[in-house]
Amino acid sequence: MSEVRLLNRRTVLKGLTLGAGATLLGPMLQRVAAESAGVIPLRFVFVVQSNGIDPNHIIPTGLETRRDKELFKNEETLTVPLADRALPEPIADLTPFKESLTLIQGLSGRSSEGGTGGHSTNHGALGCYPGSAGPMAQTIDSALGDAQPGIIRHVGLGVLSKPDQTLNYLISCAGPGKAMPLQCAPENSFRALFGSALGGGDRASFERRTHLLDFMSDDVRRARQSVTGDERTKLDEYLSALETLHRRQGAVDAIKPRLASNVPKLDERFAKPTEVNRLQAQFEIATAALIGGLTNSVTIASGGGGQNYLSWPDLGIPIDGHAVGHGKGVEGLTPPEIHVKVRQFHCKLIASMAAKFQSIREGSGTMLDRTLIVYLSDSGEAHHPNLKQWPVVLLGGMAGKLKAGGRYVQLPFYGAKKHRTLAGLYLTLLHAAGRPRESFGVPDTGLRGIDQGGIISELLA
Amino acid sequence: MRILAAVFWITSSALAVTPAETATLKKFLSDYCVKCHGAEKQKGDIRLDDLSGDMLAEGTRWSVIADQIRRGEMPPDDAKAQPSDIQKKAVISWVHAQLGAHAQRKPNLGNLVPHDLLFAPASSEKSDAPAARLWRLSPEAYTGWVDQVGGRVNGIVQPFTANPERGIKDFSSLGRVDEPTTEILLRNAEAIVEKQTGTRIEDGKVIGKNDAVREFTDLIKSDASPSRELLTKAIDRQFQLAIARKAEPDEVQRLLGLYEKCAQGGDHAGALRTVLTAVLLRSDAMFRAEMGGPDGMLTPREAAGAISAALMHKRDGALFNAAEKGELTTREQIAAHVRRILDDPKIQKPRLLGFFREYFEYDNAPDVFKDEPKDLWHRPEQAVLDTDRLILQILAEDKDVFRTLLTTPLTFVNVKTGKNKETKQEEFQRAQVPNPQNQKGKAPIESLYGLTDWTPQQPITQSPGTRIGILMQPSWLVAWSENFNNDIVRRGRFIRERLLGGTVPDLPIGVAAMIPDDKTRTLRDRVTNTTKDERCWKCHQHMDDLGLPFEQFDHYGRMMTADLVLDPEATSKNVNYKGVPQGDVYKPAPLDTTGRISLTGDPKLDGAIKNPHELLMRIASSDRARQVWIRHVFRYYLGRNETLADAATLQAADRAYLQSGGSYKALLTSLLASDSFLKRRVGTPH
Repeated sequence: MSEVRLLNRRTVLKGLTLGAGATLLGPMLQRVAAESAGVIPLRFVFVVQSNGIDPNHIIPTGLETRRDKELFKNEETLTVPLADRALPEPIADLTPFKESLTLIQGLSGRSSEGGTGGHSTNHGALGCYPGSAGPMAQTIDSALGDAQPGIIRHVGLGVLSKPDQTLNYLISCAGPGKAMPLQCAPENSFRALFGSALGGGDRASFERRTHLLDFMSDDVRRARQSVTGDERTKLDEYLSALETLHRRQGAVDAIKPRLASNVPKLDERFAKPTEVNRLQAQFEIATAALIGGLTNSVTIASGGGGQNYLSWPDLGIPIDGHAVGHGKGVEGLTPPEIHVKVRQFHCKLIASMAAKFQSIREGSGTMLDRTLIVYLSDSGEAHHPNLKQWPVVLLGGMAGKLKAGGRYVQLPFYGAKKHRTLAGLYLTLLHAAGRPRESFGVPDTGLRGIDQGGIISELLA
Repeated sequence: MRILAAVFWITSSALAVTPAETATLKKFLSDYCVKCHGAEKQKGDIRLDDLSGDMLAEGTRWSVIADQIRRGEMPPDDAKAQPSDIQKKAVISWVHAQLGAHAQRKPNLGNLVPHDLLFAPASSEKSDAPAARLWRLSPEAYTGWVDQVGGRVNGIVQPFTANPERGIKDFSSLGRVDEPTTEILLRNAEAIVEKQTGTRIEDGKVIGKNDAVREFTDLIKSDASPSRELLTKAIDRQFQLAIARKAEPDEVQRLLGLYEKCAQGGDHAGALRTVLTAVLLRSDAMFRAEMGGPDGMLTPREAAGAISAALMHKRDGALFNAAEKGELTTREQIAAHVRRILDDPKIQKPRLLGFFREYFEYDNAPDVFKDEPKDLWHRPEQAVLDTDRLILQILAEDKDVFRTLLTTPLTFVNVKTGKNKETKQEEFQRAQVPNPQNQKGKAPIESLYGLTDWTPQQPITQSPGTRIGILMQPSWLVAWSENFNNDIVRRGRFIRERLLGGTVPDLPIGVAAMIPDDKTRTLRDRVTNTTKDERCWKCHQHMDDLGLPFEQFDHYGRMMTADLVLDPEATSKNVNYKGVPQGDVYKPAPLDTTGRISLTGDPKLDGAIKNPHELLMRIASSDRARQVWIRHVFRYYLGRNETLADAATLQAADRAYLQSGGSYKALLTSLLASDSFLKRRVGTPH
């Protein structure tokens, strides 16, 4: 009987935060085996920034820009090579990676509507379902983590306006009702990810920790027998967390030397936890976790979800993104100029992450060839988006499975017969990651007769 | 998506839609709705032909449908086909039933249960005990727990997050312990045990530190393997500290097993620490159980835990002692303990003020970033503390609390308590004292309240026509303002939802809520001329007119006698000798504080209002508003939304409040000794 229940629990918890414990060690061994056989995993980084990405911010110079929320009018996909064009000012910092860069214009995501007060689409941005529905299904970052499982399935990092807000539950989701927290205090994420690699703990204390986690799993397993339904699910989640920690103990131990040699030095940033420092710290932690082989899927949210906006005093922007979105500027900077400045800062961080990946040889190329950074906003194209456009920046590669970068791809506009949605992009990524699906999220009811399933062939090699 | 939704149906089968229901709903939609909201045409961008009755995915649309039908707004009057009253009622009650079960779990959806039904005499006959539940410690309760277990421990990180952005936060359905949380819990538990077992060396001997636990350090001191008896004693002690009971024999047995495993290498101290850590990580330390005994009443220990958690962030020793003696089995015993705690000034009860902070949300004031004005020393943190003090004063008086909250002329101004250096007595002192250099040219905090000098005679009575009640406290006004302006819409929403019991849908997508930034017009003018647009007004009619009267104040909470608009001419002339602009110049414009209460369904409430005073006086006298407030009290202390099954509890609480002359203590006592609080559905044992 108890076996049946256990099975049932595992089924329900499949894909729970950082992966169902039962299957965790499997992929890890697979991964070790794969690496020794020369098969290297694909990796994904989702950079989600609040307040929208203005479509004009990703239009290469020399092409016509658009007025606020005005749609493009191309019925067919328009592709422009980036080689002989300069990147626009907001994303100019990505110039060194032009060849690995795909700027995607014209996707829509209207089914993600209805987040908090018409601002963020919450889980809808990565899940393609109504932002008001709560964490109703797995988001793409989590799904790709499952497709390319690392020791930790998915690492979520974030920054919220107050340094003491430690977790953001509004962006990632591992399955129905399973919002995955993004760790928003860099010190906590640092300790959680690298603590064991740094700790000088001896073998005995390591083993005691293993016994403890084993005991606790058993303890909670007993406790869950006395409750049913949703209350049992609460204990199941705790149990799954303990099991995951238990198994991860061993897995992390195995890669300790590699991890230890990549631990970032962040003391100064921890000492002065401004928004700029915290976001930089999270980027460095993410970079180290990927290089160290802890995980293959990371999400970094700068603000994001609900009305989580940030101010950037270090950049001379002491007012928060909400005020900027509602047309407020600061001394010397208009709201559009603020958006550009904040975008540039994020692009700098993305560029320095990409540079690290590029510096690491992997197979016949570099780590960047197998790592895809997906940069987008949780509120589409604007502070109050209509989501008929959802600009996305792709940087890096998927081992040649995606078409080479160096392109500006303007897909057919919302309403055109060949229009595509954000879900199409995610399906393409899942396809390339070896986990094809027929559909992703909830379809946009306003797009009758338009293909909302399937991959976007213009993006696949 | 359907498969995903199905997962939810399994866990809450009560929500499943029967085929007959599906057929009825489909027919209703196709007869009356789909012509304008179907595949062909989607008026107002709303499509209804694809609804399946899946409340999880379609909840918002269904609640709009029920709402529109209830208000008689849909189908429109000129539609040829009109549903009968019976048909309408059937759809509305179906939606409410479905949403009720779902909405019970989510904060800010409580108002979906119709108020008139909740307070209808007939509803009180129905009573169905709520389901057994586990309620994870709130962030504050976790801090209190750490304090009870280990005292002041360095390096503790808050593992729990209160999720909702607004309103009441600690709902029992929300608390969870996921992987990152567990990681933190584990580290915290190790830190606590480290402190509990701390030793130092004195005169060449190892002795326990003063703030460590003796039962533990006694074992650590000796190199020898401790006896089974001493280990059991230590385990018992940790059980008492962590979950206020002794360990059961089988629990001891298992922990001794863990000890053996860990002590194999010879490190007894390490093994003991591991065992002590294990007790701190128990699920019943993190989740408080309300399972109910065989008779459906909470067990005495559960009741002790529940009452403690309702009022404070720590366990109340006397309650647990009573439980130990087998008391707390009757409503009267429990009510007596509630009264004892409420009446004892020595017992800290942070959850008393806690409710008012989450209900009024005035404590958000410091989070609203504002430029410091040139002529005012803006101290929102102090404004919050002054409002805290006012509410505690109203609770101490405990008379006609709801009305007083909304209409009291009293206020505290820039107060802290401190010891008089000479008399050594506690006294009121001026909390924020301006520095003549740093705050040069800035009006002090007292100016907000019309005082020229600070006075220790507090609270002060404000002159008629100035400020009354919490909603005119600077803290509330700032908390419900934007960075640069008043927030007319959200203030209106507050009143609609938390005082009138209405609902307002979230901002629909595609709506760019841009109030024109034209400073030559008043905010009232800009907002009303934007939202009067037909598409906006559907929702804004529920909010704007209720928020407009607060234009009496500016967004720093200063009382205004005139509105201010930009004077372009004077601004262009405002340049220094080099011609550099010196900032905007404003000129007075007529101040309009009128508004309207409407759409409440209560003729005594509805009607035009001249100013915020009239608005609040009228609401303060309303039975409905008081009951809506009581519904919110219920949600805070019971950690869930009310359902129709709680009608008897709510009606009794309202009666207790009225009969006691408006005593909050009486209201709370009634709620905490109610069936809704104390009884649980007797489920099939697992």
